[in-house]
Amino acid sequence: MSGHPEIDDLEQLAAGDGLAATVAHVEGCPECAQEVAWAKAEKALFARRAQPDVSALWTGVEQRLGQALPQKQKRRPNWHRPFAALASAAAAAAVLLFALRPKPIAPASSSQVAQNQNQPQSAQTQPGQQTGQPQPGPHQRSHLDPKTLAALDTAETDYRHAASVLEAEYDSLRPKLDPAMAKRWDETLTRARTQLGESRAVAADDVRARMRVLDGYAEYLRSLRDVIQDSEEATP
Amino acid sequence: MENGPETAELLTRARAGDAEAFRVIFHRQAPGVRRFLGDLLRDDAAADEGTQETFVRAHQRLGTLEQPGALTGWLLGIARMVFFEHLRKKRRDGLPPANDDDSQPIQIDRSPGPEAALLAGEAERMLDGALQTLTEDRRSALLMRLDHDLGYGEIATAMGWSLPKVKNEIHRARLQLREQLTPYLEGRS
Repeated sequence: MSGHPEIDDLEQLAAGDGLAATVAHVEGCPECAQEVAWAKAEKALFARRAQPDVSALWTGVEQRLGQALPQKQKRRPNWHRPFAALASAAAAAAVLLFALRPKPIAPASSSQVAQNQNQPQSAQTQPGQQTGQPQPGPHQRSHLDPKTLAALDTAETDYRHAASVLEAEYDSLRPKLDPAMAKRWDETLTRARTQLGESRAVAADDVRARMRVLDGYAEYLRSLRDVIQDSEEATP
Repeated sequence: MENGPETAELLTRARAGDAEAFRVIFHRQAPGVRRFLGDLLRDDAAADEGTQETFVRAHQRLGTLEQPGALTGWLLGIARMVFFEHLRKKRRDGLPPANDDDSQPIQIDRSPGPEAALLAGEAERMLDGALQTLTEDRRSALLMRLDHDLGYGEIATAMGWSLPKVKNEIHRARLQLREQLTPYLEGRS
């Protein structure tokens, strides 16, 4: 930067969130003050624009995706079936996952650790989420304590066990299904399994990646649950 | 970034075949995609069709989106490809292409009107007219920045440009836009 601030900084100031140095510069620089005024005017003009109504467009998308999306899934997003044993396995894993979340992300500084522990649950970082916070570097990945890794292994085992029980359930229902429907579900589950396998393969001992894999398992279980529900309803 | 923690979860579910999750993503993102395509295509029916096509393609490629926070830019990048394909088809079919001539004079109604009308419609009409004086690429980049709040880096990814080129094009687009809007804004003050 030679003299004037970057345009990003001036835009930030126009949005009401400027750095002190930028504010000070703009106060004494008519050229930059004009730039900020324009940026404000542009923002105001764009903010006035009407939001288009897209409510009618989803039907067309849904129809075109009809081959790929299980039809009943969209009508029944909630899990009502009492898969008690599986739910408890998944819940145990989820509790474990929750307990582990802050640990691998927290930096070494004790003050920052304390700060993280004081954060409300909703503000904590989720796997794969961009927060603007520094991401853990490779050196942090290699310094994981064995207890954390062991806990992750246990959670993953729980999920795998739950998945195997649900897969067996689906296998028992499948022969009674319409072949086209069974084929579609097979494809959905195969895709999910493939993505899980690939994610797990690259995750190695990276805690954040491992947690994303657990999230993937949770979603896979939900898909299996929906497939079984639909299979039972479709079976006479 | 407009994508909260829920977006990551929705994307994971959508990738696993959850139609409801993809429907939620659609309803959050489609208004922006539709407005972007409307600004590029200048044709409501084509913009509706383009929005649907964008989301069908997005669904097929969900696995390629690595960062949930980049969802909006990723979708606008797909929408831009859909727009170019539409243009190519129009040209093949012999229909007149959209205005992509930088030097073409602006067609704006500058007649004065009541303040209420100014507030309600004239500003948008002026902006709309001014946007049409920009080339398609330049317009896309400017809209991504000013209308969709994408960062310069995200725009570079969506457009396939270098960061300096993004900054340069947006700077030029702004100068053109300001040149067109100055009479209106001065008239209002």
